[in-house]
Amino acid sequence: MEFEERKLHTVIASEQYLVRLGVKTLLNVIGIESDLHEVGTFDELEYFLQKDENMDYLILSEDILQKQRKPDCLEYVKNSFGLNTTILIGKQQFSNCVCDHFISNSCSRKEVVDKLQQFFYAPKANEQQEEDSHTLSDREKDVLKAVALGFSNKEIADQLFISINTVITHRKNITSKLGIKTISGLTVYALMHHIIKAEEAM
Amino acid sequence: MVSFTKNSKMAEIILKNYQLLPIISRFGIKLGFGNKTVEEICANKNVNAAFFLEILNSYHNSNYFPDNHLGDFDVDVMVDYLTNTHTYYLKSKVPHIELFIDKMEREAQEENSRNINLLKHFFNEYKTDIENHFKEEEKHIFPYVIDLEKTLSTNNCSRELIDKIKHEPIEVYERNHDSLEIKLADLKNLIIRFLPPLSCEDDCEHLLTELFQLEYDIEEHTRMEEKVLIPKVKMLEQKVLEYYGV
Repeated sequence: MEFEERKLHTVIASEQYLVRLGVKTLLNVIGIESDLHEVGTFDELEYFLQKDENMDYLILSEDILQKQRKPDCLEYVKNSFGLNTTILIGKQQFSNCVCDHFISNSCSRKEVVDKLQQFFYAPKANEQQEEDSHTLSDREKDVLKAVALGFSNKEIADQLFISINTVITHRKNITSKLGIKTISGLTVYALMHHIIKAEEAM
Repeated sequence: MVSFTKNSKMAEIILKNYQLLPIISRFGIKLGFGNKTVEEICANKNVNAAFFLEILNSYHNSNYFPDNHLGDFDVDVMVDYLTNTHTYYLKSKVPHIELFIDKMEREAQEENSRNINLLKHFFNEYKTDIENHFKEEEKHIFPYVIDLEKTLSTNNCSRELIDKIKHEPIEVYERNHDSLEIKLADLKNLIIRFLPPLSCEDDCEHLLTELFQLEYDIEEHTRMEEKVLIPKVKMLEQKVLEYYGV
């Protein structure tokens, strides 16, 4: 049996309510299941970072940084939080910005979605890369099979005795290994590779 | 990047970017331009030149943003174009792709033919998806848009229309406007990564080229709906509400 994973925590920091709302909506669209926390000022963010050490992701809008001192503020966030899990939203990227992930205000919907997906699904620097990043592990095959047969995340979790979050992580990994996002695409893959039989897929 | 203007020569535009060919045919413009300019050709064919240029430019350059010219044409011109584009996908692009898939299925070895058959089913599903998507737009969205414009020009507004603006504005559609490209991307991935090599490489290459083109075209189409149609409809909704003081 696998470890019960704890829920992910994401902080959305912006002065603007509309920006926070927009980010929340898009996270929903790309299927990020995470506890979301909103902060509206830099002080609040500081307080949050000090008090809560369990933050996984930070989505940071430029407007919240103190004017004149934006690079310093980022430096501070970096030291207290680590920046491979921070994405910055703003007008343009500062020169030698310490933050790798960046969304420009002028990005289209598609670009924003792509960037958020990269941000959340990209392997973290400290996570070990699997040896062969394209072959599915046995467990992933089990999950893929269940997905192709049309079971929901909840049902798969129950069948395989794992948490829903673990199912979601497996699904993310399957999608990034295969480059296939839709359920029907995954079903075709599973059929092609005899992970399920044609009679079962009916 | 330089934008095309009404004085640009039609032939030069196509020589510069042949991918615009299917676009001009959607406007009913045929080859044999001689040295005519966009303006001359449009006048000849009764095409709204301002709108035609917006489409050409935004298709040619994906950074082009048509905000300055939103007021220069009526929405019915745009609805016509979008409907024509739907027809072009369903009547020309999709059958083309099906043809290649069928051919590949026939020519492949037994085991692979089974794989191609799976892809065929997958594409069929996609076809149904886009058919439904287009049908929904043509049956519900486009008539609504036309009604808005008509109301303003005839000063004759129905209760239902006001209700619709209030309770089911274009924004609802905007929020649910789903992406038509994801499945196409999956299909490309299945072919490029996982389909065992075929003997009919040419067909496979053609199929992929068609898929890439369709994907680009549909992306562009969606961009037109989201960046031009929707803002324009929002403007009309506002005008109608203001005019009738609701």
